[in-house]
Amino acid sequence: MKRTVIKRDGTEEPFRTQQIINAIFEIIQGLEVEDDYELVFLIMKELDLKVPERVTTEELDRLVLKAIEQLIPKHPVYDTLATRQLLKLINKGIDRRLDDFHDFLEQAFEQELLDERLKEFDLDLLAESLNFERDGLLGYFGLTTLNDRYLMKNRDQQVIEKPQWFFMRVAMGIGNSNEEIVKIYNKLSKLEYLHSTPTLFNSGTVTSQYSSCYVSVVDDSLDSIMDKARETAFLAKYAGGVGTDVTRIRATGSNIESLNAPSSGAIPFIKIFDTLVNSIQQGGRRRSSQVISMQPWHLDIDGFMDLRETTGNAYFRTPSLNTKLWMPDEMMRRIKEGEPIYLFDPGVCGELVDAIGDDFRKKYEKRIEQAEAGELEQFKKLDSQNFFKKYLFKLAKTGHPWLIFKDEHNRHNPCPEYSVINSSNLCTEISIPNRPDSTAVCTLASVNLSKHVNEAQDDIDWDKLEDTLEVMVRGLDNILDKNFYPSEAARRNTMDLRPLGIGMMGFAEALIDLDIAYDSEEAVILARKLGSFMREVAYRTSQELAEERGAFKHYQEMEEQGNPYDYEPRRNAVLLAIAPTASISIITGTTSSIDSYFSNLYSRDTLSGKHIVINRQLIEDLEEQGQWSDEMADTIKANNGSVQHIDELDGIIDKQLYKTAYEIHPKRQVDIAAAFQESIDQAVSKSLYIDEQLRDNMEEIYLYAWEKKLKSTYYCFIDKVVKGEKYTEKVNKRGSRKGFGASGSSADNGTPKKTDPVEEDKAELEAKAREKFGDEAVDQALEADANSCPTDPMLRRICPACE
Amino acid sequence: MPHKLIGRTSVRDNIKLSEDPSYPIFKELYEKQKKAVWFPEELNIQQDALDYHTLSEDEKDLFDTAVGYFCSSELLVQNVLVNSFFPLLTDPHAKMSFSTQLFMENIHSDFFEIVLQSFGMDREKMYDVAFDDPILRKKQSLIVDEIDKISYGRIDPNSLEGQKQILRAILLNNIILEGIFFYSSFAHFFALKDMAKMKNVVSGVELVLIDESLHLQNGIEAILIMLDENPEIVEDQEYVQEIRDVILEGTALEIEYVKHKFGDRTILGISYGELERYLKYITDRRLQELGFEQEFHINENPLRFLQKEDVKKLINFFEVSSTEYTNY
Repeated sequence: MKRTVIKRDGTEEPFRTQQIINAIFEIIQGLEVEDDYELVFLIMKELDLKVPERVTTEELDRLVLKAIEQLIPKHPVYDTLATRQLLKLINKGIDRRLDDFHDFLEQAFEQELLDERLKEFDLDLLAESLNFERDGLLGYFGLTTLNDRYLMKNRDQQVIEKPQWFFMRVAMGIGNSNEEIVKIYNKLSKLEYLHSTPTLFNSGTVTSQYSSCYVSVVDDSLDSIMDKARETAFLAKYAGGVGTDVTRIRATGSNIESLNAPSSGAIPFIKIFDTLVNSIQQGGRRRSSQVISMQPWHLDIDGFMDLRETTGNAYFRTPSLNTKLWMPDEMMRRIKEGEPIYLFDPGVCGELVDAIGDDFRKKYEKRIEQAEAGELEQFKKLDSQNFFKKYLFKLAKTGHPWLIFKDEHNRHNPCPEYSVINSSNLCTEISIPNRPDSTAVCTLASVNLSKHVNEAQDDIDWDKLEDTLEVMVRGLDNILDKNFYPSEAARRNTMDLRPLGIGMMGFAEALIDLDIAYDSEEAVILARKLGSFMREVAYRTSQELAEERGAFKHYQEMEEQGNPYDYEPRRNAVLLAIAPTASISIITGTTSSIDSYFSNLYSRDTLSGKHIVINRQLIEDLEEQGQWSDEMADTIKANNGSVQHIDELDGIIDKQLYKTAYEIHPKRQVDIAAAFQESIDQAVSKSLYIDEQLRDNMEEIYLYAWEKKLKSTYYCFIDKVVKGEKYTEKVNKRGSRKGFGASGSSADNGTPKKTDPVEEDKAELEAKAREKFGDEAVDQALEADANSCPTDPMLRRICPACE
Repeated sequence: MPHKLIGRTSVRDNIKLSEDPSYPIFKELYEKQKKAVWFPEELNIQQDALDYHTLSEDEKDLFDTAVGYFCSSELLVQNVLVNSFFPLLTDPHAKMSFSTQLFMENIHSDFFEIVLQSFGMDREKMYDVAFDDPILRKKQSLIVDEIDKISYGRIDPNSLEGQKQILRAILLNNIILEGIFFYSSFAHFFALKDMAKMKNVVSGVELVLIDESLHLQNGIEAILIMLDENPEIVEDQEYVQEIRDVILEGTALEIEYVKHKFGDRTILGISYGELERYLKYITDRRLQELGFEQEFHINENPLRFLQKEDVKKLINFFEVSSTEYTNY
C-alpha cells in the first residue's frame, strides 16, 4: 500500500518508514535497553497496521504514541518510551507558541489566567530553578492525566504549560517567598509529595480555590435546606466534594407546626441535592460530588438506604449522590449484642442529633423507655442484626451507604467547645467540628512514601520525611489565607480552626522496597510508627507556626474566655487526614493512599480514559530472576493479575510481597488502617476489598472495623464474579467436543492443516498433565465447572469450563 | 424418539425443573446471566453530553451508527429468538437461559434508547440506519432473509432437515449477529473510551459485552448439543460447508462495512487494516468454538487496547460510572 503524509502546511510527501524509525531511535536514546532494534521493530510492527493511506503529520505522531502505548503491558520500557513520546508532543505543541517560562507567564497574565500577585516573585530566579530532567520521573499514565486535565490551557483551549512549569506555577501559588517556592517546587517536581487535585488545578490562578472538601450541616427548616442547596451549588461549581448531614430534618409524618400538616420527610429534600449536583457537574474539569449522611436512628433510614437502588420510584432515588451512615456506638453495641434498635423522629427527639458517647446512650435509652410506655407518637423497633444484615446487603449491592462511626470521630474532637463533629466529607477522611453556620473545609496534600525509602532500602528515610512534612504543614497553612471561600460559612470555619489534611500515598510501594509484605504484622508495626511520626512532626511544626503567626482563632478565644484547652498552642486545630489520593497517586505513579496494590495487572478507568497499570516492582523482580517473558505476562493476565497460584514462581520470588487487594484478608486491611488511625487526628479513608467468598463474613468484618476503632470506612469493593469473554486471550468454550470438526474433509476446507493450539494434542497435553500432576488432579480438571477451575495454566488448558 | 434439545413442544410440556437437569450447562448459563443483570439507570449517561458535542464528524458518525445499529438489532435478536426457535426448546433450563437472554436484550434496547434520547439524536434516522445504509442493510438482510425462511416456512423440528434449519437460525442469531457483527461495533465503542471519550456510555457497553458473551455461549452450547444429538448433521458435508460459508459471508460483509467507514483514514487511532485483522481474529475464534478449522490463522488480537477489557478494573467512582458491581 502506498501511503502519503500530509504535512502541516498542506504539502504531501510519501510516507517514509526510515524517518519514523529515526524518530523512535531518538526517544530511545539514553535508555538502557538490551536490544534497541527489537524495540523499534516491535513498535513499527504495531504502527504498520495503524497507518492509513493518507495521514497528517499530527495524526502520525499520535499513532506512533498509540503503537507504543499498546506495548506497555509487555514491559515497563514501553511505558518510559510512551512517556517520552507524549512529552515530545506536548513540548512540540507548546514550543510552537511560546519561547520559554517567561513567555508562558506573560501569556497567562495577559489572558488573565494567573493571579497578578505572582508577578511580585523573582521570576528569573524561579526560571533558573526549573529542572526539566525531572520530567523523566513521570510515568505514562501520570503524564497523560496531567496533559488531559491539569496542565493549564489558554483561552483557545491549547495546552500552554509544560510539566515543570506546572509544578512551578503550583508552588508559586503556595509559597510566600522565593525561597519557599523553590523548596516546594523541588519537592513537587521530584514527586515527593503532591497537593490535592483542586490545589493543582487552581493554585496561582485567578480561581484560587485550593480545597478538596466541605462538610455542611442542614438544619430542620426550609430556610436552612434551601440555604444549603445554594451553598452546595457554589461549592460544587468550584469542584469541591461536599459532605452534608441531614439527620436534623424531621421524619416522614412528623408534624409541621406552622402548617399543622405532616412532613414528607427527609428523602424528597435529598433529591434536591441530587438534581443540583447533577446539573453543575457538567461544567468543569472534574464533576463535583456530594455525600449525604444520616444517623441510622432516623425514622426515614429505610428510604435512605434505598437511595442508590437503581429500580423503584425515581423520585426516591439519587443516582448522583453518595450516601453514608453516621453510626453511633450505642447502635453498634446493640447490633453486636443482639439488642433491638429503635428509630425516632428528629423533629421530636432532636436532642439525639448532637449527643455523643455516653450522653447519647442515656438519651437514647430514655427515648426507648418513652416509646415502650406509649408516650411517643412515632417510632420503630427493629431487630438490630436483621437491620445490619440488610444494610450490608445494600452496601454490597449498591456500594452505598458507607459506614462511618460518629462517636469515634467525636472522641478525638480537639475543639468540643466549638461544636460537635457533624459527619465527615465525601472521602470520609475529614473530621472537623462544624455547625449549620460553619461549614468545615479541608485542604489536603499527601506525602509519597515511596520516595522516602533510604538508599539501602532497609528503612524509611526519616530525615527526608521530616523535611517533607515540615514543608507540607507550612505550605498548607499558607494556602488557608490565599484560598477563595465559596461561602461565608466555609470561611468562618477555616478562620476559626485552620484545619489541614496531610495524608499519604505509596505506602504499599514503599513496603515492597523494604521487603515487607502488606499482609504481615511488620506492615502493621510500620504503619503505627509512620502515623506517630507524622503526628509528631506535623504538631511540632504547627506549634512553631503558632509562635510565628499565632494559634488558631478559636483556641485564642477559649484562652481569652478563661476556659483554655489543655494542649500547647498550635496553628491548626487538626493536621492529618489520610485521603484516598485517587488522582494524585496516578500522577505520581504510585499506589493509592495506604492501600495495597489493587492487582499486579489491571485497568483503571478515569476521566482521562482507561489505562493498563502493571506492577513495575514485580516485573523488575521477575526480570532479575530471569523470569519475565511474554508468556509470564500472559500467565499473570490469565490469573487476573495474581501471582499466588503460579507454581513456577515458588521459591523464585517472594510471592507474599505481591498479594493483590482481594487476596489480603479484610481484617488485615482494617489492622493497617487502625494502626495509622491511632495517631491521625482526623480520619483514615479506607476502602475495603472483599473477595466474593468472604461475602458472608461482612458482618464480622465491619464489626471488627468498629472494634478496632476505625473512624471511617469508604468504598466496599467486592470482586465481581461474572466477567465478559476474554478479548485477547484464547478461550476454550468447546471443551473436548468436536462440533463441526467431526465432519470429514469439508470442515477444514482444504486449507493447509496448521496446528490448531486448541485442537492440538489435547490428548498429548492430558498425558503430560497426568505425568506432572497425577490422575486425580487431571480428572478433576477435566470435570471442572466454573466454580472449581484449576489455577495452574497447564491444567487450565484442559479444563473445559476455563475461560 | 430420544429426547432432544430441539423438538416440537406444546404449552403442557417442560413445566418441571429437575434437580438433575438434562443440560446442566444451561442452568449454569442462566445463573451467570442472572448475576450479570444490570439497569441503564446505574450509568450517568447525561454526563457524556458535553463530550458528544466535541466529537469530530467522523467520530460522531461512527458513534451514531453504532448506537443506531444496536437500537434496532437488539430488538431484532429478540424477534429471531422468539419467532424462530424459542418455541422449539424442549428443556426448561434451556428455556430459562434463553428467556433471560431475551430479558437482557430488553435492557440493552432500553439502554440504547436512553443514549439516543440523552444526546438528542434523530430517532427515526437512528432506528432506520440499519436498513437505510446500503452496507448495513446487507448485514441485516443476511440475518433476516435466512430467518424468514425458517419462521414462516413450515418446518418439522423433529426431522433432520428441521434440526438443520434451526441450527442455522441459532448460528445466524447468536454467532454471526451477536458474536461477529456486535463485536465489531464493540470495538468502535471501546476505541472511544480509549481516547477518553463518551466514557459513561461505553461503561454501559462494557456491560452489554459481558451479556453478549454469555449469549454467544448460549448459542455455541445449543449448536454443539444439537450436533451431538444429531450426528447425521455433520455427515452432510454440503451442509457443513454451507455453515462455514455463511459465517465467512458474515465476516466479509462486516469487513466491507468497516472499509466503507474507515477507508483510507484512521478514526480514534484505529485504521481499517487493524479492524480487518481484528474481525478475522474474531471469526477464527468463532470457527474454532464450533469445531471448524481457522480460516485466517490470526492468533493475536491486533486491537491491543482491548486487553483493558480482560483484566480486573479499578474505577474512580466519582469520575466514571462503574461496571464492577454485583447486583445479586
